[in-house]
Amino acid sequence: MGKITRRLLLGSVATVVAGGAVYGGSRFACQFVPRHHPDFFSLLDLAPDNPDTRRIGELVVAEAAPAGFDAFAAALRLRPLTGEAATTDCASTRRRLVQDQCAIDFAEGRSVVIDGWVLSETEANLYAAKLLRPSIA
Amino acid sequence: MIGDLLSGEAPAELTGDVCVVGSGPAGVTLALELAKKGRQVILLESGGEQYEEDSQALYEGRITGHQNIDVAASRLRQFGGTSGHWTGMCAPLDPVDFTPRPDMPDHGWPIGRADLDPFYARAQPYLDLGPYRYDFDYWRPNAPGPALPLDPTKVFTTVYQQSPPTRFALKYMETVRAEPKISCWLHANLVDIALNAAGSAVERIEARALDGHSVSVRANRFVIACGGVENARILLNCRKQRPEGLGNENGLVGRYYTDHMTIETTLVALDDEIDATLYDEQHTIGDTVLNFGLKIAPDEIVARGLNNNAAFLIPQFDDETFNDEFRNYGWIAFSEMVKAFAHGRVPERFGERYCEVVDDLGRVTTGAYRHVMRKVKPRSRPVAFKLRQDAEQSPNPDSRVTLIDEVDPLGFQRVALDWRVTDEDLLRLRRTHQFIGEQLGAAGLGRMRLGISDPPDHDIAFSGYHHMGTTRMHADPKRGVVDADCRLHSVANLHMAGSSVFTTAGCANPTLTITALAIRLADHLAATLA
Repeated sequence: MGKITRRLLLGSVATVVAGGAVYGGSRFACQFVPRHHPDFFSLLDLAPDNPDTRRIGELVVAEAAPAGFDAFAAALRLRPLTGEAATTDCASTRRRLVQDQCAIDFAEGRSVVIDGWVLSETEANLYAAKLLRPSIA
Repeated sequence: MIGDLLSGEAPAELTGDVCVVGSGPAGVTLALELAKKGRQVILLESGGEQYEEDSQALYEGRITGHQNIDVAASRLRQFGGTSGHWTGMCAPLDPVDFTPRPDMPDHGWPIGRADLDPFYARAQPYLDLGPYRYDFDYWRPNAPGPALPLDPTKVFTTVYQQSPPTRFALKYMETVRAEPKISCWLHANLVDIALNAAGSAVERIEARALDGHSVSVRANRFVIACGGVENARILLNCRKQRPEGLGNENGLVGRYYTDHMTIETTLVALDDEIDATLYDEQHTIGDTVLNFGLKIAPDEIVARGLNNNAAFLIPQFDDETFNDEFRNYGWIAFSEMVKAFAHGRVPERFGERYCEVVDDLGRVTTGAYRHVMRKVKPRSRPVAFKLRQDAEQSPNPDSRVTLIDEVDPLGFQRVALDWRVTDEDLLRLRRTHQFIGEQLGAAGLGRMRLGISDPPDHDIAFSGYHHMGTTRMHADPKRGVVDADCRLHSVANLHMAGSSVFTTAGCANPTLTITALAIRLADHLAATLA
């Protein structure tokens, strides 16, 4: 086993610091870079757009503050069927997967009451994500 | 026979095997059943053959609790009792309604549903109902549409039968008149229950007409069958020998008043593909008129700490022709008048009903127009449904009937009705709706918007005019007024009939259970009379 020298130690620390700086800088810079995730945003299009759903979205966002779009999007990707839907091209398959995920949520007790509506967590996240959906350049 | 105390032709004393006070569904059923078994029955009715203002006025009292209730007009003091204006919905209580629940103090009867089943079956014909079958599976082969595909271990389709509704005066008055074993006296108001010298049993009942004619009734057994409010009022007023009132040694008479909370709220939006035909109107299968609703499975009721409930889906239409919001007092009065005229009769309380129609002429006109249009216009698909229910309340000793200082012309103190509607009852109903909403979501059928807020608005709850619980049944005299045979724990030969003996009310309209209990009591009395 090699000897740990002062040069090796300083080099390692510098590498970690540089790596952190590059990663942090990248995260910061990437906020300003528009990107396309067509399948995921198609998922959001499944949520109806009307005053009720927008109000539900606002209430979910207010409840979860300071969570932003990424948090809701991550929650949606986390569920197996909506995660799969986010990478599925076929619109009808996507719809079915989201509906199935909602049904599973209800069956497993993951429901919420927002503005009186009894909804699955998936729906609530979908409405919130749709509301916060960043504009695509 | 039917006599009239006002005529002055009644003897000073009447005698029989059983004296039944009250000629509503409980009293008439009891009298007819006892007569069939060869027992001589004295049947006393406070009112006349029809509605009379001065008899009805004896019911007047005060409302001191929740205001969406009435203590006088909701009852009818005449031959046939309140069956003169009941709506006719019928179902038995569920087994879960009878069972004591550790999470709910004072819940549970000393008898079970199985004890009542044979009597429910015998009660069905009294109310012109179909076979004693309230399970959807029985009706399924001839049902007009499928049941919602819900997990039946969570939420299932329930069945209510619809009585025409049977008006006991119309259906049974002539039978009573022709029955030699029944001696029925009209305008005979109970004014005292006199105990024997030992104070252990009723010796006689004193009855008096408003014009002063009176009669004494002696019998082996006495049954008070005057309704959920009046039964308690009578016991509390008869205190010459027991200052606290008959059967009130433990302060229970009048307590545990319960009613069904009639609430129409919470929206259900079903997917366009879903066929909800079964639920959105009454259906006739064979000769039986049926209503279908949704109930939560008993295991879930207990596990989730809910009250029992049957939710009926009331369709909401974009096309107003098919909406029913015009149904108010004016429309009901108009309907009753039309029905009476169609049968060649002048409606009872004609003046009162006519004025209701005049006051609500706009809605009556709307209703009449829509009924005509419905004959020519194809029915559109409902855009949503509201849940309508007569929801159960938890037993509450503070919800009660008490006496007030004001007395009626016969010297009986009038009542104050302190009906309590609690946050907890309404929140249990909210959780019930939410659970149904979750099951609709799990089955992919639709979504629900709750109509009960948290904290709840009490004004959404109206009385179902089902007065119950004021002389509740319990095996322990410290927890109930009557025993499992509907006999006062503390008076050997005095029984109560009707909804006042209900220990818990479930969510079934009470008339079928009232009738079943009356038949059961008749069997018991006939079997135990010497």
